[in-house]
Amino acid sequence: MADHSPEDNRLALKVVFYGPALSGKTTNLMQLHSLLNPQRMGELMVLETRDDRTLFFDMLPIGLKGNSGLDLRLKLYTVPGQVQHDSTRKAVLSRADGVVFVADSQTSQQDNNATAFGNLEENLEKVGLDIDTLAMAVQFNKRDLPGVVAESELQRRWAGTPWAPLQMASALHGKGVIDTFRVLLDRLYTRVDSEFALNSEHGIDRDTFVRQLSAASEAHSA
Amino acid sequence: MLNFEDDPTLSDLLTPDQLQRLNNSLSALCRAPVEVGPDRTAPSVALEFNLETVGWLSGGSSDEERLAAADLVSFLMMFIAKYRLAANLHHDTTEASYAELQRQNDALRASEARYRDLSDQLQHRVDEQVAVIKQAQMDLYESARLRSVGQLAAGVAHEINNPIGFIASNLKVAGEYVSELREQLPETTGNRELLADFADLIGESSDGARRIARIVSDLKTFSSIDQADYTQCDINELLSSAVHLLQTDYGHDLEIVEKLGELPKLSGHPSRLSQTFYNLLENAAQALKSREQDGGHENWAGRILVKTRVDGDGIELVIQDNGNGIAENLHERIFDAFFTTRPVGAGTGLGLTVARDTVRAHKGTIQIDSREGTGTRVTIFLPIG
Repeated sequence: MADHSPEDNRLALKVVFYGPALSGKTTNLMQLHSLLNPQRMGELMVLETRDDRTLFFDMLPIGLKGNSGLDLRLKLYTVPGQVQHDSTRKAVLSRADGVVFVADSQTSQQDNNATAFGNLEENLEKVGLDIDTLAMAVQFNKRDLPGVVAESELQRRWAGTPWAPLQMASALHGKGVIDTFRVLLDRLYTRVDSEFALNSEHGIDRDTFVRQLSAASEAHSA
Repeated sequence: MLNFEDDPTLSDLLTPDQLQRLNNSLSALCRAPVEVGPDRTAPSVALEFNLETVGWLSGGSSDEERLAAADLVSFLMMFIAKYRLAANLHHDTTEASYAELQRQNDALRASEARYRDLSDQLQHRVDEQVAVIKQAQMDLYESARLRSVGQLAAGVAHEINNPIGFIASNLKVAGEYVSELREQLPETTGNRELLADFADLIGESSDGARRIARIVSDLKTFSSIDQADYTQCDINELLSSAVHLLQTDYGHDLEIVEKLGELPKLSGHPSRLSQTFYNLLENAAQALKSREQDGGHENWAGRILVKTRVDGDGIELVIQDNGNGIAENLHERIFDAFFTTRPVGAGTGLGLTVARDTVRAHKGTIQIDSREGTGTRVTIFLPIG
């Protein structure tokens, strides 16, 4: 849940990168860290890993000041994808405002995607969140690998869901990462604006919200 | 409750001792003493962590020194915070997992208790069913046995009924002939004795014939030979006539106390009910007689109490005697057909069987309470309508 403290004029939002093991959630976050140049950005905290696998979570805070002086924070988290870390996933997922589901495009990984998505639904329910009202973007990563499911096929499969169209990405090469993030921000804005009147009270319109939080740094803006 | 993701304050990250040591180290590095604290004291530099100002750094000899020191502190802070976050998350997830395990454990326990209950109930029900089946088998066996006995009895009764009829009537005529002979024969001692003996013989034979007729009648009732229609019966009336009949048979020396309440009419089979009442009364009279023969009761006077009253939706009828009672070990068998304690020829062993069957046919109940040497009480309940 968005953490709003009116006395400090502060609003903290939480976005969680979810998905099967090795789908590239941490890579997404690392790319955002190096590609983005938002108003404010904290350190990327990569908590313990073993063999490059996330054990706890990664976290990247970014921020934005509104005209009213609103101090808006966005904390981006990743969860460990491996099955055995379910209680950690649940703890990180609790009170989330938005979710980026990072799926693996490889044909062999489709079952894992489905399992992870089912796990997301289940855990959202357990922490008291509703998948239908939560802001969510779905990314199919690793488009650069051979043996991936065709985009048209994926788009067709997901066409009937609230998360269409899907975002295609190759996070390792920095492609599609910011686009996915922007789609998420756009959907997140809809939820947050209706609850906290970002536009009318704090002068943060949709465009400002998305643009400022996802501004690409000069060096990588190509 | 604190969440693992709540932004930490300076005191969350560093203990006072650690903060003191940090200040000492920084002061040693800089040209002027440096102090890190939660409050802003100019001139100072904000210590940022995750976009959050966690404290302020003051002192030092220049802005450059303060900035460099603040940067160093932020750098250190990140590792401390990382450890804190991981530790807090670990703590949160461990607690959540433990709570989840405990919930599952409770659920398992509850479910186990439920199944144990169910299993107990099941065992109980199986036992009940087994008992029901056993009872049904016994009833079936009993009724088959009784049916064959009943058929036999009905056949015998039918065959005996006619001859005993003409024997009784012939004996009556023979008695009259004896009277006529007495008038016609000369008055001699020999003749007188002969005729007296003759009259006794005929009288005893008549008694015997009557007894046979009674047994035949019992057998007929028992085997339900004559199934007359049900009519509205006055239980008191039926009971009274049975009492009178009994008193006649016992020469009016029985003390029978009647306490008959006002009763509604009851749909029933009058002759079978009469037979039942008579059987019960006769049992009571026999019990009194047995006790009298046992002797040694100076202050005892035999008495039969007959009582009727309305009880709820039925009629309760009590026949009670202070006779010799029924021995405990015989209680189970008193309703059995052909079970009797009387000498051979004195009873058919059908009295109570007939009574029970009749009461059952009227959807009623019969209960016998008895104590040897004290008396017997028979309680019959007959539902109205």
